[in-house]
Amino acid sequence: MKRAAAGLLIAAVTLVLPAVLDDSSLAVYILLGLAAMVTVGVSLLMGYAGQVSLGQGAFYAIGAYTAALLALNGVPPLAGLIAAPVAAAAFALVIGTPLLRLRGHHLAFATLAMQLILLSLAGQLDFTGGDIGLQAIPRFGIGSVEAESASAYAYLTWAGLALVMLVTHNVIASRPGRALRALATSETAAASAGIPVGRYKLVVFALSAAFAGLAGGIYCFYTGYVAPGSFPVLISIQYIVMAVVGGLGTVWGAVVGATAITLLVQGLDRVANLPGMPTYAPSVLSYAVYALVLILVVLFLPRGLLPTFARRTSSNPRGNSR
Amino acid sequence: MSAFIGYLLNGLAVGCAIALIASGLVTIYRVTGVVNFAQGTFAVVAGLCTSSLLGLGVPHGVSEVAAVLVAALAGLLTGLAATGKRDTTPLSSLIVTLGVGVLAYAVEIVLWGDQPRSAPGLASSVTIAGARVQTQHLLVIAVTAATFVLLVLFFGRTYLGKALTACASNPFAARVIGIDTRLMGLLAFALGGLLGGIAGVLVTPLRPISFDTDVTLIVNGFAAAVFGALTRPGVALGGALLLGVAETMAAGYGYGSHQLEVALGLMLVVMVVQAGRRSTIHQETV
Repeated sequence: MKRAAAGLLIAAVTLVLPAVLDDSSLAVYILLGLAAMVTVGVSLLMGYAGQVSLGQGAFYAIGAYTAALLALNGVPPLAGLIAAPVAAAAFALVIGTPLLRLRGHHLAFATLAMQLILLSLAGQLDFTGGDIGLQAIPRFGIGSVEAESASAYAYLTWAGLALVMLVTHNVIASRPGRALRALATSETAAASAGIPVGRYKLVVFALSAAFAGLAGGIYCFYTGYVAPGSFPVLISIQYIVMAVVGGLGTVWGAVVGATAITLLVQGLDRVANLPGMPTYAPSVLSYAVYALVLILVVLFLPRGLLPTFARRTSSNPRGNSR
Repeated sequence: MSAFIGYLLNGLAVGCAIALIASGLVTIYRVTGVVNFAQGTFAVVAGLCTSSLLGLGVPHGVSEVAAVLVAALAGLLTGLAATGKRDTTPLSSLIVTLGVGVLAYAVEIVLWGDQPRSAPGLASSVTIAGARVQTQHLLVIAVTAATFVLLVLFFGRTYLGKALTACASNPFAARVIGIDTRLMGLLAFALGGLLGGIAGVLVTPLRPISFDTDVTLIVNGFAAAVFGALTRPGVALGGALLLGVAETMAAGYGYGSHQLEVALGLMLVVMVVQAGRRSTIHQETV
């Protein structure tokens, strides 16, 4: 009962915010929603399938480039937006088939390598626009209705996030979800209990890629341009930080983590841009925050903010926040 | 032909730097089971330190040694963060070293700014079999060879080196006979920092280094270390030299824009083939 009330409250606040925020706050709000969308996937992948991906930014980039290329070639934006997660998931299925035979640090480096290769290719190929990228992407719209204001993109983003959270919630609560939890602890044991380990890992990998692809698709319509520089390696690390901070394997944890880190970085950014601060202050502060938060949470709050907090306040001994 | 020899020596020099990074990774991984993502950072720190010290007028030799010692200290601090707390799993440690690498970005930008920096090395060049070769390339190869000989002597002939090897082969047995495995782990991190620092000091005169060069360095180093399954330094050395020569040849003969893809693609293939040979049970128990 209390949980349902909290859910309604959050939904109400989410829906009201776009109407009251000014444009610069809305930009933060949209980027926060997009980051949360990717982080839910990362959290699912790390918490349930036990796999670390340092290349989630690559799927974000694939979604953005797919939607941008389709929209620039006259395909309706809605079709482009639907194609973005499909393309990212398809790519994840193809690349995951060999890569998911790796585990632990090997997989981490392999996914990082994948992102570096894709960025390097995107910077050299002609149809992706090279280092300059793709510009003048048409606005998002359905039929004759065009999304012009930032608040329209805010609603689009948070509708996407709600969809992503719903899908993740259903996956976790289902029979495959229990199987995923089993294979995160021991693949051998899970396999001997009849769980098709390889296939499940691949499906989660593709699902997390689809989430990132959807976020990328919305991102390209919102900003109107994509370039390799929009997807640095640090963006993938940022999603890991958010997932770890919120608590791995929890749907709400990913949102809490994304919110906490985004607001923290934004707040420090305001401080860093005060007159009298050196020009390098914004980047230094954001690097330092990502690093310190990541190290401290991994070492001292390995379960993440939300589960730790939930366990202290409620009587639920499992500290499970679903 | 002379172009070929030039590229070959250049490639060997690049490979030697990669080999030093890879050997640091291998040393740390063997003793602690941690893959150190901050290994490229040590090279960057040492490189930037040398350029500053030389700029301040500190003579050659002293600057380089001081920079390598700073890198060793950075290694020790990374080790403290990654393994200092009990019950840190290797994967958590990997994420912590990732954090240390990002934290180093902040420190490096404050101290040195975000523009690439270089340092003067040996400016002269010599002619070998008709090819003009920068003396710095030869210096890199010579120093790396000497470092590897010293490493072999250290691990094979000294008590400390043998204690490190003992931790690598069986940490429980090592603890039984009174070796402090955590201390040895920290020592391995310091040694890794030292090796990364040597690489950084050697490379800075060849190509300018900036705070985010570490991604290229660590990815190349990891690619080389993976040849030896992260545990065999000799194979890693061979892999690094192969990688360095292949990249330089690709760049020299006109495929320069694709050298990163070549190196990374090679690493992916090697890892996937290796993973196919090992069973899951073996990987989960190790």
